[in-house]
Amino acid sequence: MGRHRGYRRPVVALLAVALALGACTAPPATVEADRVQGLYNLFLIAAAAVFGVVAGLIGWNIVRYRARGDESLPVQTNTNLALELLWWALPTLLVIGLFVASAAVLNTNDAKHPGAPLRVKVEGFQWQWRFTYLDSKVQLTGIPGSPPELVLPVGTTVDFELVSDDVIHSFFIPSFLVKRDTIPGVDNHLELTINQQGTYTGQCAEFCGLLHDQMLFSIRAVSASEFAAWLASQRPSP
Amino acid sequence: MTTAELERGTPRPAVAGTRTGIVDYLTTTDHKRIGLLYLFTGLGFFLLSGALSLVMRAELTFPDLQFLDESTYNQLFTMHGTGMIFFFASPVVFGLANYFIPLQIGAPDVAFPRLNALTYWLALAGGLIAFSGFLVGGAAAFGWTGYAPLSGAIFSPGNGSNLWIIGLAFAGTSGILGAINFVATIFSMRAPGMSMFRMPVFTWNMLVTSLLIMLTFPVLTGALAMLFIDRTLGGHFFDPAAGGSAILWQHLFWFFGHPEVYILILPFFGVVTEIIPVFSGKPVFGYRGFIFATMLIGVLSYSVWAHHMFATGVVSNLFFAITSLLIAIPTGVKFFNWIATMWRGRVRFQTPMLFCIGFLFMFLIGGLTGPFLASPAIDYDVTDTYFVVAHFHYVLFGGSVFAAFAALYFWLPKMTGRMLNEPLGVTHFWLTLAGMNLTFFPMHLLGLEGMPRRIADYPASHGDWTLLNVIITGGSAILAISVVVLAWNVIASVFMGRGAVAPDDPWGGYSLEWATSSPPPHHNFTSLPPIRSERPVFDARMTAIASRPVGGEPPVPTDPSADQEMVRG
Repeated sequence: MGRHRGYRRPVVALLAVALALGACTAPPATVEADRVQGLYNLFLIAAAAVFGVVAGLIGWNIVRYRARGDESLPVQTNTNLALELLWWALPTLLVIGLFVASAAVLNTNDAKHPGAPLRVKVEGFQWQWRFTYLDSKVQLTGIPGSPPELVLPVGTTVDFELVSDDVIHSFFIPSFLVKRDTIPGVDNHLELTINQQGTYTGQCAEFCGLLHDQMLFSIRAVSASEFAAWLASQRPSP
Repeated sequence: MTTAELERGTPRPAVAGTRTGIVDYLTTTDHKRIGLLYLFTGLGFFLLSGALSLVMRAELTFPDLQFLDESTYNQLFTMHGTGMIFFFASPVVFGLANYFIPLQIGAPDVAFPRLNALTYWLALAGGLIAFSGFLVGGAAAFGWTGYAPLSGAIFSPGNGSNLWIIGLAFAGTSGILGAINFVATIFSMRAPGMSMFRMPVFTWNMLVTSLLIMLTFPVLTGALAMLFIDRTLGGHFFDPAAGGSAILWQHLFWFFGHPEVYILILPFFGVVTEIIPVFSGKPVFGYRGFIFATMLIGVLSYSVWAHHMFATGVVSNLFFAITSLLIAIPTGVKFFNWIATMWRGRVRFQTPMLFCIGFLFMFLIGGLTGPFLASPAIDYDVTDTYFVVAHFHYVLFGGSVFAAFAALYFWLPKMTGRMLNEPLGVTHFWLTLAGMNLTFFPMHLLGLEGMPRRIADYPASHGDWTLLNVIITGGSAILAISVVVLAWNVIASVFMGRGAVAPDDPWGGYSLEWATSSPPPHHNFTSLPPIRSERPVFDARMTAIASRPVGGEPPVPTDPSADQEMVRG
């Protein structure tokens, strides 16, 4: 039995790596991202469990039933209805569970928030971003090599209005665990509520041509009072 | 008899009894020669597209642009994806299908041999046309997905983009014609006794694949025609400013594109389902259930396309979430079939089986990251990042390419009459396994940390990104070495004639290709064994043993003992 253990070690190591994936997402910084992180963790646990069972079965079979110079013909088993029904049923139950959990998070996160959110227009263009605070007309425009910094308050729902006049871009902030495309001819919206102060990097995630890699921006999340002071210091665009 | 016991002899021509000059290959309508042309064309584009990825990896090792500019980088990833999908994976599928569907069903050739030749030359022309963009001032640079309006004349001027469209249209047309040929062959040219439910699983999976091609490739060809009209004739299909729709392209492209993923994996499910039973000494477990799962994947694959579009915000995300998750069920079932096939068998670890076991582990990982992308809330985060790149490379490299290598070691002796070198094969396997995991596993982490795909450069301020990118580039170097080992094995064993002469049935095979010579004669068979199950060659071997006179020669490997219990379903 001693030499069997040698075969199992890689499987255990792979499992450990899979579990380490849980710690590797950018730390969530919005109310919505916290829910996504929870859902991601659920999926990761399910995937790790399935990997453990299936990889374990494969590993056990190739070790236990490896040819050992005994060349007699194995029993030619080729069907077992009960077993087959079982292995159709188990993944079906798992998939239903994952769907229900996915639907719950999706419906909550995509629902329109009540009340008057802070409205920010996000315009993707080749190859930078233009952010406009719609209520105060303050506008920030980036140029490649000099990315804009969008300042937002913590604890206030922000409604991003996503538009583009040239090609498709995608507004992506890794720490918010979300992206949404800006598509010519389509008015897209994304609502979220930041719950952690800090500076978060973002960049275009939909390939948009030559300088796609330079469509960087950042978001600085500050307290509501700091935000009000910052906004008042900005000059509205004509 | 093992390969070591076979003495070396003079190489036989690729098709016994005929000449094998260049002109013979240029003018052939023989399915075996066309199959070989397809396979080596596919391997050629594999080397080319792989070389492009190595250049990209070298550039991405460290932040800042070292020796590429964005324009070149964008062409490289576009043509890497285009080449691997359309001009490597598809030709390898068509090559294996061309060679082995007629052999497995006991037919002398495909139904339409001349059409078959046209199909190959269209595919080759398509590849050359698409790649010729590099020679006319720049290849296409909008990603293999060609999203509108970026792929339009305003944002992607230049003939490289037009050549990409024309090349893909050639490949699409070739695919449709080839699929029609395979379906006609399977439905009308099976040998007496070869009922549908006695067909080998590879042929079954190619039937379902061909039906998928016939229903999806026309959509691609149509979309390409619309894009071409927009670009060159002033059309407005995908121009929102003139009342067109940018999203329309994505619907058409992915209605083709997602079934295409199954077109590139179902044949390889068939390959491993040929190899695992042979190297386990057992029949495939749950043959009919396995085929039903293949059909279900085929049907479901039409209903999942918009999971590529969750982040566009303009599709019904929940509908496409449930259909995409459902497809995990028949795929998962196949794993249990493969495992139960090995259960209580005699598993032999020769190179074809090593690659199948590698396939099981790697495709398992690729399969398990799929549900993350099928759940819209998680997909919003990880789509268009390196997480997706990791996912589809585990599926297409860990799945399709591993199975293609398994098929090469399994079937090249049949096709060329030469065995490949086993120690080199084992070396190739371990290098591929190590290189693949070092290259593609860290991409999961990169994606989760927010690195988008398709960027020529990344900021140095993300400390982890640099470390992970260094590891990935190192892994890709190991993959490059593994391909050199494979190429040397094929060149030395086959073309230089150093490999042992392949017997008719080197592995103890089950299906009809093992009942003829290696390589098979023109029109394939001089006689056929009776076909009474899905394993006619296995049955013939058992019959020969059972009718052996008492006190005859000692049993050969895989013989049953005298009182072996047989369970047949």
